[in-house]
Parts: sequence; C-alpha cells; structure tokens
Amino acid sequence: MLPKSYVVFKWAVYTIATLFLCALQSLVFSHIHVFRLTPFLYPLLPAVLSIFEGSRRGSLFAFFFGIACDLLLPAPFPGFFTLIFPVVAAASATVAERLLSRGFLCAGIVSCLSLLLTGAFRIFIQLLSGGQYMGLMARIALGEAVLTLPALLLVLPVYRTIYRRCASDY
Amino acid sequence: MKRSSNRFFLMLLALAAAVAVLMSVMTYFSTTSAALPNLAGIIVSPFRSASAAIAETFGRWTGYFTEVDALREENRQLKLQIAEMEETVRQATFDREENAHLRNLADLREQRRDLHFESARVLVQDSSNWYSQLTINKGTAHDLTVGDAVVTEEGDLLGVVTEAGLNWATVRTILDSESSIGALVFRSGGSALAQGDFSLMSRGCLSLNYLGTEPDVVAGDLIVTSGLGGYYPSQLVIGYVEEVRTGDDGLAQYAVLRPEMTLDGLTQVYVVTSFDIVD
Repeated sequence: MLPKSYVVFKWAVYTIATLFLCALQSLVFSHIHVFRLTPFLYPLLPAVLSIFEGSRRGSLFAFFFGIACDLLLPAPFPGFFTLIFPVVAAASATVAERLLSRGFLCAGIVSCLSLLLTGAFRIFIQLLSGGQYMGLMARIALGEAVLTLPALLLVLPVYRTIYRRCASDY
Repeated sequence: MKRSSNRFFLMLLALAAAVAVLMSVMTYFSTTSAALPNLAGIIVSPFRSASAAIAETFGRWTGYFTEVDALREENRQLKLQIAEMEETVRQATFDREENAHLRNLADLREQRRDLHFESARVLVQDSSNWYSQLTINKGTAHDLTVGDAVVTEEGDLLGVVTEAGLNWATVRTILDSESSIGALVFRSGGSALAQGDFSLMSRGCLSLNYLGTEPDVVAGDLIVTSGLGGYYPSQLVIGYVEEVRTGDDGLAQYAVLRPEMTLDGLTQVYVVTSFDIVD
C-alpha cells in the first residue's frame, strides 16, 4: 500500500504536466497549419499516460480530463470527450499490458489508436446527425492524426519521466 | 481480477454517460451558458488572458522580422484604395444630399442605423480542423447575450455569440459549418442565406445558398447582412462572391463567399449588444 502523500504528489505532478501540454497546444500547436490542418494533442494525453498507469488509473484520469475538455473545448455534443477518453485510455492500457512493452513503439501505436478512435467517434456522431462530407471528414481525421503524432516525442518523455521518478522515489 | 477490472471500466463508462447526459440537459435548458461550463470558463479566464497576451507579444516580435515586405505591399495597395475611396466618398456625399432632398420631397423619415458596441479581446481561437470559434473576454456581466453579432475593427461581420458566461463568451464565426445568417446581394438586392460549409471552411470560405430560381449573383458581388427578422443588424459586410457553382442536384446554384474578415492575427473584436433600425 503506497502512502497517500505519494499518490497525491504523483497526480499533482501529472496534472501540472498535463496543464503544460495543454498550454503548448493552445500557444504553439494551434498556430501550426500544414495543408490547412492543425495538430490536436488532447487525445494523446490520456492514451500515453495510461501506458504507464494502467487501465484503472488511466481511465479515471481520462474521465476527469474528458470532463475538463468538454467544459472548455468545442465538441459535437456535451460529454463527447468524457465518453471517448476513458475508452481510449482503456484501449491504450490493454495494448501496453498485453501486446507491447511500454516503449516508444507502444506509445506510437496507442497514440495512433487514440487519435483515430476520437476521429471515428466524431464522424460517427456527424453521421447520426445526418452530416455530409464523410470522405472529407475521414481525410481530416487521418491528416490530424499524422500531424499530431510527432508531438509524441514531447508527450512521452514528459509522462515517462514523471512515472519513473515517482516510482524510483518510493 | 480481470472481472473486477471490467466491472470498474463499465461503471466508469456508465458514469461518463451520466455526465454526458447531465451536460446535455444543462446546455439544453440554458439560455446563455450552462452552470459548469460557465464556472470552468471563469476559472480559466485569467490563464486564457495570459496565454493570449503571450501569443500576441510573440506574434508582434516575429512580425517585426517577417512582415516588412508584406506591409510595404499592403501600404502600396492601401494608397491606391484610398484614392478610389476618396472618389467614392465624393460621389456618396452628392448622393446623400440628393437622397435627403428626395426623402424630404416624398415626406419619408430619415433612415438611420444605431449600433451599440462592446469591445472585447480574443482570448482563444478554437479554429481547429472541425470548428471555427473564438473565445472573447466579455460576457453577461457586460450585457452580452447569445445571438449578438460580432464584427471586426473594420465593421465586417465575424460571427455570432453562441455561449455567454459571466466574463467570457464563445463566438461562432461565419466560417463554422453550423453558422447561418440572412444575407443580401448588395448590387441586385436579392436575398439569400450565408451558411458555413464544412468543405469550404478549411479554405476560409462559406457558401451563399437559397439564391432563388433565377439568381442574380456574379463573382465579385458584395454580400451584406439582410437584417431580416431583426436578429442581426443589416448592412454588415459578410464578404465577396468568389464563384457561382451548381449544386450536387444539378439545379440549384450557390455561391462561394470569401469573407471580408480574417482570423489571422485577430486580437480585438466588437460585439453589437443592441441596435436600432429606424426607417
């Protein structure tokens, strides 16, 4: 049983790191336009964190992070991110626990998965509401994923450092 | 262990669904902004202001080095434009005097348009791949309400307030695929509907639909707000017709509009909090 102070400290550091990455999206990534597309970092964060923290803790983090995103970001419907992020986190944790070791390849695959799942869910919602341009939406979702993936070089070291440091301290 | 993990995940999903339903209900019954998003908006407002200030400062620094040539060219173009506008103003002065004289003869009241503005700073540009929205630093505390039109410094229509918190508001730009505004072809007086189009949004354009059976629209036409229904002020510039196309059905025509406003480097906007049209 880990001390309570350790748990609080670890998640406080994770929260600060997540806020830093969100600020990076807002200040830097949202100003990057490649082929009229912008990177979208948010689905990557619960996915990468779940690789280290596992299904339970990762999904719980994704749930609260999803609520925050729903309150602050535009979405197809209120609660969109709250619903999709725990699914993304659980899928990522499953890949890390059963298929691949927690390395860069694993992070790349779960990041890809998280971005595509979010995109697919968005397209599915548009389809339900009688949306047009499914082909265009699929291209955008794919392009967004490709454009966001290099950000993994930044997200992965941040979360991995926190995980390792906290694990070594206790 | 696996079963308990599955049960935990299912419970979390059920909780997430409940939160989603709760958020939807709160949004549905709210006329300005639901309580939770309002609170979240208030909490992050200082951070958004700080990040907007940082981005603005950084943009200004880089602008010194990157925009010199563009500014020189713009300056040359503006000088030409001023010369043309001076000629137009001279003609307009003459026309206004003639109009006043004719109105006097016909015993008509002076037509007047009073707009009341509230200036606001852009905190966040949510121009993602899926939406075109802005967050500004004024809200219900400054008499902003949902449905208020928002214009640029030049008076061009930027969008409409869709959500208003205490000290923040979300503006859906005219490029967003859910945007829809009554429009008028300035030259011919034909009415239409300027609507955001997902396929044109990334190009920074929108579409002009419902042009009628015999549309009188050509490339270069100025499109302004119609003001029909009294939801938005009339005569706000939306943009210019780039091209006229035939729809997928092969019958109805629509026009591609290039908006006059631009989102690049946009820091200050003006919300039309109230307006009077007197005919």
